[in-house]
Amino acid sequence: MKDFKEISTRLKIAKKNVREIEEKNRGSNATSLGKALKISTELVAAVVVGSTIGFLLDNWFDTKPLLTICFFIIGVAAGILNVFRSAKKMQKKL
Amino acid sequence: MVLNPMHQFEVYKIGPEINIGGINLSFTNASFFMAISAILILSLLFFGTKKKSLIPSKIQLITEMSYALIAKMINDTAGSSAKAFFPFVFTLFMFVLFCNMVGMLPYSFTVTSQIIVTFVLAATIFIGVTIIGFIKHGIKYLELFVPKGVPIVLLPLIIVIEIISYLARPVSLSVRLFANMLAGHTMLKVFGGFVISLGLLGGWLPLSFAVALTGLEILVAFLQAYVFAILTCIYLNDALNLHH
Repeated sequence: MKDFKEISTRLKIAKKNVREIEEKNRGSNATSLGKALKISTELVAAVVVGSTIGFLLDNWFDTKPLLTICFFIIGVAAGILNVFRSAKKMQKKL
Repeated sequence: MVLNPMHQFEVYKIGPEINIGGINLSFTNASFFMAISAILILSLLFFGTKKKSLIPSKIQLITEMSYALIAKMINDTAGSSAKAFFPFVFTLFMFVLFCNMVGMLPYSFTVTSQIIVTFVLAATIFIGVTIIGFIKHGIKYLELFVPKGVPIVLLPLIIVIEIISYLARPVSLSVRLFANMLAGHTMLKVFGGFVISLGLLGGWLPLSFAVALTGLEILVAFLQAYVFAILTCIYLNDALNLHH
């Protein structure tokens, strides 16, 4: 019975060590490269989506090119917001 | 014709043409390689879990590692309430990973270098996550578009910006995967073309570049599948836990 207790405490200590190593290694591996690739497209996608919405609305209301310009600017704002948010999320994790 | 770097992305049909209701449903090389990836995944999981030994064989180890990777990813990014979506995320990750990796083999076709494939995957995630959010929170899910602490004067503008940034998700998700695979494979082909045209004398430099790029492409192939899965988890987290 004593042996059993000893093993369980040793197991606990070993598990704690593993967890600490995992905490230390977080963010230092390939996932950081993935994050870098992630941010680059985020900016572009929002601009494209915004401009497309503006273009469609322009065709609908016959107000070329007013809405395209407006929604392009809003799309840029949305893209920067997206990048800002994911950067903030990364900082929180570190 | 063979030296054209974009030639490898051509979709052509295999076998007879199938037309159902005016929609062309022919079996193409893209569907062929999708089927190959699916069969490879199924056989890996089948043989990996067949003999459940305490000291795992290599194939069992790969299977268990892929399971643990996704289980940990879901737990870390989306919390324990997202455990129910493990099969979906796991399928998605394995499918994208195997399509990318099968595309790295010579003479094969990279399914994920077609924007329609990646866009359909991303749109499925986007629509699914939106439906899950509405089921879980009802009309309160729309609060996602109204950040807290914004003056009422600015609210109409902010809501439009938030909606556009929400709609940009599937586009950025699909374009990222598609562009990475397209650019990588085009670059490999271009360097391969240099090797041929420079011949025995000067072809060694582009050849060494092509070898290095192949290693990089394998890393990118894994990384893009990983990013695809982790973003799915992040979107699921937004839908399930509803806060910024």
